[in-house]
Amino acid sequence: MNGSIEVKNLSKTFKKGNVKAVRDVSFSVKEGEFFAFLGPNGAGKSTTVQILTTLINATGGEAAVAGHDVIREPEKVRRYIGVALQETGVDPDLTGRELIELQANIFGFSKDRAKERAVELLEIVQLTESAERRIGNYSGGMRRRLDLALTLVNEPKILFLDEPTTGLDPSNRMAIWKELQRLNEEKGTTIFLTTQYLEEADSLAHRISIINHGEIVATGTPKELKAQIGSDLVTLTFISDIDSGTAEDILKRQMGASEVIRQSEKLTVYVKDGAKQLLEIVRILDGEGIEIETVNLSSPTLDDIFLKITNDQEVETHGE
Amino acid sequence: MGNSIWKDTWLITARSIKTTLRNPFSFIPNLMISAFFLLVYEGGLSGISQLPTFEGANYLAFILPVSIVSAAIGGAGGAGQGIVKDIENGFFSRLLLTPASRLAIVLGPIIAGMLQLFIQTLLIIGIGYLLGLEVATGFGGILFVLMIAIGWGLAFAGYSAGVALRTKNAQAAQAGTFIFFPLIFLSTTFVPYELIDAQWLKIAATINPTTYIFESMRTVLIDGWIFWDLMQGVIAIVIACTITITFAALSAKKAVARG
Ligand SMILES: Nc1ncnc2c1ncn2[C@@H]1O[C@H](COP(=O)(O)OP(=O)(O)OP(=O)(O)O)[C@@H](O)[C@H]1O
Ligand SMILES: [Mg+2]
Repeated sequence: MNGSIEVKNLSKTFKKGNVKAVRDVSFSVKEGEFFAFLGPNGAGKSTTVQILTTLINATGGEAAVAGHDVIREPEKVRRYIGVALQETGVDPDLTGRELIELQANIFGFSKDRAKERAVELLEIVQLTESAERRIGNYSGGMRRRLDLALTLVNEPKILFLDEPTTGLDPSNRMAIWKELQRLNEEKGTTIFLTTQYLEEADSLAHRISIINHGEIVATGTPKELKAQIGSDLVTLTFISDIDSGTAEDILKRQMGASEVIRQSEKLTVYVKDGAKQLLEIVRILDGEGIEIETVNLSSPTLDDIFLKITNDQEVETHGE
Repeated sequence: MGNSIWKDTWLITARSIKTTLRNPFSFIPNLMISAFFLLVYEGGLSGISQLPTFEGANYLAFILPVSIVSAAIGGAGGAGQGIVKDIENGFFSRLLLTPASRLAIVLGPIIAGMLQLFIQTLLIIGIGYLLGLEVATGFGGILFVLMIAIGWGLAFAGYSAGVALRTKNAQAAQAGTFIFFPLIFLSTTFVPYELIDAQWLKIAATINPTTYIFESMRTVLIDGWIFWDLMQGVIAIVIACTITITFAALSAKKAVARG
């Protein structure tokens, strides 16, 4: 047993609707690593999590979690993992304490040990005061925190968290981030986290894979992903999106399709040498008589990388 | 680390029982309906037992099986409702993610439903006694009636759990319980077979397995130990249980399988 995840050519096609949710995905996560799966709605994040946590079978490829094949040895895998699915899984008729104790008992803890574990975990997720209340009366954030506590009951070697902070307010989100970082640093827990938030992946993960339409489109450390783009960003805004459209056409003719991305009246241009090319862009547009509202030069954030990568993909698919 | 299947089953069953008790409205209406059969029909229809076809039997003993079967079916339906609730609020997946025995995960709510059925049936029999019930076969007869109630409830629990696991949807599972009405009412519910006028109802009563359940219960309550009359109920249960439990097992397999 080890705290690693090995995934080779994993695919999942849902019979219903013939949806190819995951296509030939390969990656590996080392023991103790904090790994993020970043992607938009419908990218295949949850499907991947469900395969790796033994809930559903893949239709192709293979995966080993904690050193055990997820299809051949699901019972072994389940012992070593903790899972928080996208939807919380709690029984609203039990109290927080009862549910944690039940979970501990199911994992084979003695009665006394289960009670102790509940006390510890309620403290960690700051639910001690609500421990005796029915979960049905908990707020969304409290449920999420309880769900997280449940995933920690068996002191898992590997944690799978499917969008654990979606829908949480900033303070709840911070609390969960802190706890995940603590688990990763102090206990060496391997963490596989999915998110739609780039800042989340950026500030938590050692390594990130970006998934889109069921395929991994980029993998690297946050730094590497930023370097991959290898350039600066010029962001221009215009009075109207007619102007930005015209400007897009003009700049695209000069710089190539993948370097310019338009979002209504905003244009983002990826350039090699920011200071020099900024002037050039302004000169070109000025020459065409297009009025620029604001100009901004920056180095890329993960948001920009994500935008660029998914845009590159679309350009490719449309170009086929 | 890890439990025996017995421990798992016990843990999950205990939790289902707790959940049921915390939702009294999941069983009180059914209990009221069952008590209603006894109180209202005994009060309102008992006059018809003066008819010669009843051969002097008291109507209370005649209507009691209807009340018991209604309580049993309602109690057993709790199994399916429990499962659907777990699936809908994600707790079923949470259980599947633990090393708990897959069988225990499905069996827990079913056992809890059976227990609910058992207690409801006892309560109804208790009310029967308060109303002056006399049983031809005495205590042994009551045990037989209980056994039939549990058997018939098990058949229905298999059905309701099967529907729940297959549809994973509360509305569908709820709709599935409507089979309760034809099962209870298209039968020798209020009058003996010989007194049913409408030909269609006679046919329905002949097809409806509940008729044989009523008949076998009535035999021990009113007439005594008449082997073949009792056996028809037992046979109906064996056949129904075989079908519904197979259905439940196949549905369960599909629900915990990783398709
Ligand atoms: N059980 C299912 N049956 C059929 N199609 C499914 C099923 N589950 C998911 N899909 C489809 O597979 C694709 C990937 O879904 P998935 O839930 O993995 O995305 P996701 O990245 O988790 O998205 P989100 O951020 O919205 O949670 C989607 O097109 C979805 O409609
Ligand atoms: Mg998802």
